[in-house]
Amino acid sequence: MSVEEQVKEIVAKIVHVDKNLMTRESTFKDMKADSLDMVQALVAVEDRFDIEIPDEEAQKFQNFGDFISYVESRIAEKEKA
Amino acid sequence: MSLKGKLALVTGSGRGIGRATALKLASQGADVIVNFFRRRDAAEQTAKDIEALGVKAEVIRANVGDPAKLNEMFDMISDHFGYLDILINNAASGVGRSVMDVDVKAWDWTMNINARAFLLCAQRAARLMGGRGGKIVGISSLGSSFVLPTYAVVGVSKAALEALTRYLAIELAHEGICVNSVAASAVETEALKFYIKQGMISDTRQATPAGRMVIPEDVAKVVAFLCSEEALMIRGQTIIVDGGTSIAPFVIPEGDQQ
Ligand SMILES: NC(=O)c1ccc[n+]([C@@H]2O[C@H](COP(=O)([O-])OP(=O)(O)OC[C@H]3O[C@@H](n4cnc5c(N)ncnc54)[C@H](OP(=O)(O)O)[C@@H]3O)[C@@H](O)[C@H]2O)c1
Repeated sequence: MSVEEQVKEIVAKIVHVDKNLMTRESTFKDMKADSLDMVQALVAVEDRFDIEIPDEEAQKFQNFGDFISYVESRIAEKEKA
Repeated sequence: MSLKGKLALVTGSGRGIGRATALKLASQGADVIVNFFRRRDAAEQTAKDIEALGVKAEVIRANVGDPAKLNEMFDMISDHFGYLDILINNAASGVGRSVMDVDVKAWDWTMNINARAFLLCAQRAARLMGGRGGKIVGISSLGSSFVLPTYAVVGVSKAALEALTRYLAIELAHEGICVNSVAASAVETEALKFYIKQGMISDTRQATPAGRMVIPEDVAKVVAFLCSEEALMIRGQTIIVDGGTSIAPFVIPEGDQQ
C-alpha cells in the first residue's frame, strides 16, 4: 500500500469517514474533524512511519495533499540517513 | 536553596508553567530534562535558555499519554543518567466540553495524559530516586475542586492527580521521597489566552484579590520550594496558588465597587 493509502486509512479510521471519499484536496474541516481528531491522526501517522511531525509544520498543511507530501518527505529523509 | 548536582525531569516544559519551572530549577543549579510532545522548537529554546544558566539540559520527546513512549523516555533517562532527583508532572492536555458532551475518546485522552501519566511517571521516577531523597510535584488546577465552564474532564483528571498525590506521598514516604502538588488558578499562559478568547472563562485579571493574575513564575517558585529541604515535612498536600481568588468568591475587587 502506498504512503498515501496508508495515511488515508489511518485518518479515515480516526475521523470515522469513508476513506474513498478522501482526496488530496480534502481538509480536516471537510471531514468535520475536531482538534482532538487532528492530533490523534497526526500521532497515529507518526507512530506508523516512525517520524516526527511538529505542530509548527502541521499548521502549514492546507489539505491532505500537503500532509501526505510532508509524510513522504520525512520518510525519504529517514531512509537516506 | 541550591539544587546543584540534582537532576530534574519536567514533563511538558517547552512552554508555559513547565518552562518557567524548568528555568527556576535550573537557576538553582539543577540539570533539567525538558520533555515535550508537539512543539520541538519551544522545547529546544527552553533547553538553550537552561544551558545559558550554566547547567545541563536534555530534550526528550514523548507523549506521556502513551505508556510505551513514556517508558522509552524513562529508559533513556535510566541509560543516560541512571538516577533522578526531581519529577515535575506538569504536562497536561484536555478537551473543553461540557459534561454531556464528553465522549470516551475525550475522556481517555485527557485522563491518560493528565492522570495516568502521573502514576506511571511517579512509578518509574521513584525507582530512579532510590536513596537520593527524591521530590515529586504534580501540577493541578482549581478545576479539581471547583466547577469551571467546559472543564469537566480536565477537572476530574486533576482531582485524580490530587488524590494520587496523597497515596504516593504516603506509600513513597519510607523511600525518603516527598510528594506534593500545586494547584493554580487561571495562569497567564497561551492556554489561558485561548480559553479567554473562546469565551470559556472570563478575564479574571481584575478579580484577583492579590491585584494581578498569577503568572507561570509564581507557580514555579512554589514548585521549587516543594523541591527544597525546607518543605520536607509537607507531604501529600496540594498547595493553592491563586492570589486569593478561590476563597473570596463574594469579594468585589475595589476598583469595581460602585
Ligand atoms: N494555564 C493555566 O491557566 C493553568 C491553570 C491551572 C493549572 N494549569 C496546569 O499547569 C500545567 C501546565 O499548563 P500550561 O498552561 O503551562 O500549558 P501549555 O502552555 O498549554 O503547555 C502544555 C505543555 O504540556 C505539554 N504536553 C501536552 N500534552 C503532552 C503530552 N501528551 N506529553 C508530553 N507533553 C505534553 C506541551 O508540550 P508541547 O509544547 O510539545 O505541545 C506543553 O509543553 C498543566 O498541568 C495545566 O493543567 C494551567
